[in-house]
Amino acid sequence: MKAIRPLCVAALGFFACVPAALSQIPRDPTPVVSKTSPADIANGKILYEATCSRCHGLDAGGSDGPSLQGAPERLGDEAMGGIIRGGIPGTGMNGFGSLSADETGQVIGYLRTLGHTADAEIAKGDPAKGKTAYESSGCAGCHIISGEGGGAGPELTRVGAMRGPSYLRTTLLTPGAILPKEGGAMERGRFTQFLFVHVVTKDGRSVNGTRVYEDSFTIELKDAAGRFHSFKKLELQKLEKLPGKSVMPSFKDTLSATQLDDLVAYLSSLKGAQ
Amino acid sequence: MRATKYALVLFVFAAALPALAQVPYQRVVNSDSEPANWLSYGGNYYGQRFSGLKQLTPQNVSGLKMAWAYQPVRPAGNVETSPVVVDGIMYVTEPPSTVTALDAHTGAKLWTWSPILKNVVAIGLFQTNRGVAVLDNRVYVATIDAHLVALDAKTGAVIWNTVVADNKMGYAITGPPLAIDGKVMIGTGGSEAAVRGLLDCFDAKTGKRLWRIWTVPAPGEPEAATWGGSTPAGGTTWNAAAYDPKLNLVYWGTGNPAPDWNGDERQGSNLYTCALLAIDPDAGKVKWYFQFSPHETHDWDASEPPILFDGVVKGQPRKLLGFANRNAFYYVLDRETGAFVAGMPYAKQTWAKGLDEKGQPIVLPDTGPSPEGNLVFPSITGAINWTSNSYSPLTKLFYVDAREMGSYFVKGTNTHWEMGKFPIGAGGERALSGDDAYGAIRALEATSGKMKWEFRLHSPSWVGTLATAGGLVFSGSDEGNFFALDAVTGKPLWDVYLGSSIRSNPVTFSVDGKQYVFVTAGTTYFVFGLP
Repeated sequence: MKAIRPLCVAALGFFACVPAALSQIPRDPTPVVSKTSPADIANGKILYEATCSRCHGLDAGGSDGPSLQGAPERLGDEAMGGIIRGGIPGTGMNGFGSLSADETGQVIGYLRTLGHTADAEIAKGDPAKGKTAYESSGCAGCHIISGEGGGAGPELTRVGAMRGPSYLRTTLLTPGAILPKEGGAMERGRFTQFLFVHVVTKDGRSVNGTRVYEDSFTIELKDAAGRFHSFKKLELQKLEKLPGKSVMPSFKDTLSATQLDDLVAYLSSLKGAQ
Repeated sequence: MRATKYALVLFVFAAALPALAQVPYQRVVNSDSEPANWLSYGGNYYGQRFSGLKQLTPQNVSGLKMAWAYQPVRPAGNVETSPVVVDGIMYVTEPPSTVTALDAHTGAKLWTWSPILKNVVAIGLFQTNRGVAVLDNRVYVATIDAHLVALDAKTGAVIWNTVVADNKMGYAITGPPLAIDGKVMIGTGGSEAAVRGLLDCFDAKTGKRLWRIWTVPAPGEPEAATWGGSTPAGGTTWNAAAYDPKLNLVYWGTGNPAPDWNGDERQGSNLYTCALLAIDPDAGKVKWYFQFSPHETHDWDASEPPILFDGVVKGQPRKLLGFANRNAFYYVLDRETGAFVAGMPYAKQTWAKGLDEKGQPIVLPDTGPSPEGNLVFPSITGAINWTSNSYSPLTKLFYVDAREMGSYFVKGTNTHWEMGKFPIGAGGERALSGDDAYGAIRALEATSGKMKWEFRLHSPSWVGTLATAGGLVFSGSDEGNFFALDAVTGKPLWDVYLGSSIRSNPVTFSVDGKQYVFVTAGTTYFVFGLP
């Protein structure tokens, strides 16, 4: 139970806060929708820097307040709009009810441009053939797409919205080479995600896994089979953080160049519904 | 039977509480003689956050269990309160500006008071409150809309309510008042709204203003020459102070000049921003000042609560003041004269080569904000922020919660600002966070700043420290671990996960002969004791 505790806390925090935030009544009742034209994003940047950056950092990567990178993708426009204009009771997040629905949409539109591992590469393969490669390579054993697959690795339903083709290609060839830094909406700074950790307990038990949670006294790992392991740091004889390594195998020698292009194209096409 | 039982319950309840919490000034002066109580924000006027309680020790602290918890109905902001405990009653604050009296035995609510707040202006600060002051039979609290209020300690009834400054201009208060003999002092926040910093003193009985000190000059005054012809602004006084009753000096820190990250139009040292002021509270005059960060452009307020202590330097007994500054240097000053005694970094810093013989920083070139972003340690939030350090007269160590974190400081191009508005486009930071940042509880030799031990934290924390005569140091983490360390070695002795960020200074007290420890996490107020 202990290993999944932080996830429960994060989920409870989210559900406890959002309805309360939405119950605050903004001055402009129009529903908030992301506004993403270049002019909207430019104004969103000005509004963000004047209103939000003091707590969330100029790049929304977190400061006194949590990182907001990826928050619109996780929460959606309506919840983001509710939080921006209504605040989150019980936290330092004040409501900014003076922002109009359009202005709030511009701020969210600007936030959507930040923190992605988007890159110059445009996926050139065939997504349909990539889906076949995905299925034949055993990816679904560890990843869930639209409710199907195994949960040992991260869910990929919306991976195309969060990661660029070049990042996906690198990860397939050398997993762990680039680790994203993200913070969930209720979390604080940007911790390295999917960090590979090797621990040895004082009684000689050795465990490798992906870091799920860490604080000053405990660390929780998820192994290649998706099992959670909970450790007290003082009870470990070894704790090694190994960026560059991963529980995910490389597909360098199992996929042809064409299959790789197709798989990248398929993953890039996964933009998922909320 | 039922009526009898009810009467019995009432009798027991009444017997458990004192008739009235009377806290004359002399009682606060001598607070070290009654460690069961925590009579002022900093534990004593010296701000040491040291308790003489010895029941909890390195040997038994691992047996701590939760005694009670209190949860406000709907707190509207971060909980950052540090309570005052008097004869079994605990006075806490709730965000933004509520005061609640709790039965320290059980956590039961005795009374609560909230101001009526409308269209609050809070620029560059969280809407929270860090604590009250208690004097005689009154509880003093300052509100987010910049009022100072005296409440009856028994009922929460308002005795007087005075406007300190105009909230519409950006003045807002989150810090605790300082109550001394017949006087209550309070500072404000608002430097990010470019207000003119001030410190006010009121008659404790009537709420009449006795004096005001402006922390930055008006145009034309002599100190205005340190502002390059611009209109002086900032230098707010938003955090806790310390007081030496014998010297009759109040020590209060000031915040950043405005605008913040672009100092082009305010050439000069910008007096008296990012400084410590020693004030004669009877005259309402600054006796001396010590400016830590002249012409500051990183938002490194000198607002940290100072700690007064007596120590021996080069064989001579001295009246000293320890100050862990947001700029990552620890300073020791002579608190009688303001003379610099010693100083050194207590956390990573990349902006100064060191301090000169007068304690002034030898600033390295190209360490200010730049248009592209210049990586400098510490970050905007600083090597420490608003939290309180502690000092143990037994170990002679100064316990600081250090934040090891850098920022890319960005210089905005827009130096235009208007009082009461956040300066759009003035700049800011891109912080190194997550695995690039960490925190530590560090024990410094109080007279020099030399580190004796450290306990590493997973991330930079926002939790002060508490030192006890039992040989313990308590603090917490941003992830929600509350823990006790050995005061001599720093060895971790006990920890508990409280499920949400801790953002408060722990305190300890005793009721019915039993020692307890208080801290908040998320929006819950926890008290721990031995079963």
